[in-house]
Amino acid sequence: MTALTDLYIDTVVRRLPEDSRGDIADEIRATINDMVEARLGGDDSDAARVEREVLEEMGDPAVLAREYSNSPQHLIGPASYPLFLWCMRRVLPIVAVVTLLINALAHSLTTPEVQLGSLLGAAIGNTVMAVLATFAVITILLALGDHGLSPNAKTIPREEAKWSVDQLQSTDPAVSQNRLEAICSLVILVILAAVPFIPTTLLYVGHLNNGETFINPDLAPGWLAGYWLLLGLIAVVESVKLIRGTTPPALLLIGGAIDVVLAVFLTVAMLTQKVIHPGLQSAAGPDLQQIIIVVAVWIIVIWDQISTWRSIRAAR
Amino acid sequence: MEYEEDQTLATHEQELRRGTVVFASLVACRRPQYGYSLLSTLTEAGIQTEANTLYPLLRRLEKQGLLTAEWNTEQARPRKYYTVTERGGEVAAALHSNWLALDSSITKLWKEGTR
Repeated sequence: MTALTDLYIDTVVRRLPEDSRGDIADEIRATINDMVEARLGGDDSDAARVEREVLEEMGDPAVLAREYSNSPQHLIGPASYPLFLWCMRRVLPIVAVVTLLINALAHSLTTPEVQLGSLLGAAIGNTVMAVLATFAVITILLALGDHGLSPNAKTIPREEAKWSVDQLQSTDPAVSQNRLEAICSLVILVILAAVPFIPTTLLYVGHLNNGETFINPDLAPGWLAGYWLLLGLIAVVESVKLIRGTTPPALLLIGGAIDVVLAVFLTVAMLTQKVIHPGLQSAAGPDLQQIIIVVAVWIIVIWDQISTWRSIRAAR
Repeated sequence: MEYEEDQTLATHEQELRRGTVVFASLVACRRPQYGYSLLSTLTEAGIQTEANTLYPLLRRLEKQGLLTAEWNTEQARPRKYYTVTERGGEVAAALHSNWLALDSSITKLWKEGTR
């Protein structure tokens, strides 16, 4: 037994729990001695070379210690990985949306003159931090659970592990796509509904009308009520899409019809009323400005109708 | 390409041997064996095993109650002897039945595939 073998054994056992070090060290020592002795066959002249050969055959001390400790060599193991993925897919988006909304609201309420850049900066910055923190917390908690702090966790059948045929629909990519589209539509509808309240300072044109809204304050309230009512109807259609996960042709037709009604409503409003705030009217004339808006609305609606028609054809 | 094929074969052979070493160790430890003697027994029987895999494995089998371990200090060099327990013997017998059934199944499949 030389200092080299002692060093090898020390390097192995110092990575192991203290109470098992002595026994494992004795075992490795006996093994190395047996292997060296068997290879020398009584001739000790080449002992140093054989000892090196045996130690190299025993391999990297870190690997040997890992084999002895039998501890998991991963952060999230196969047992917890489905739960980890589920958390990433479900919890992170919820945290992102909630944090974004809360921060946008808090910034709007606490800042005297809200501007789009600072609003987005504050909301997105805090959201990124919240998502990263949530990611870290989920990972650490699952890693701790996986590494034995909750040994019973692996034996408890998890509810989400029980698969049923009913889950097929909810994991269908087409359903996810439909729901994603419905969520995007609802977000756009909320923004459109908020237009009459958005101050011009948000888009850095507050100097044109002293930070009032984009809408003419003298516009009759009935026009705004009609606008919100139609947006509300579209929101109902999108909510049904979100809940069902599918869009039956009848629902597509109803949604398309409401879009057209809203376009007609906006056209009439733009052509007969001063909808835009007088302070924002261009030198080219308020009528031209409103006609451009009407054209834009119809381009969007016609595009939407074509998409609807294609969806109905695809569904057949 | 050839290197990749060799690597693939090596990986599958390793997978195949992994469970076999447990079974072979239980069978060989029906009579007391110390680490190096077991390594030699397995190698002579044609079951290639690496020392750095075998010793930790013996310790795990001991923890599972399939082997008992006892230091023998009567010889010139102290050695830890492993012997299969009653439970270990039952596990070895069950593994042996599985082994024979698998051998029969694979043989049958092999014959059907080469007709």
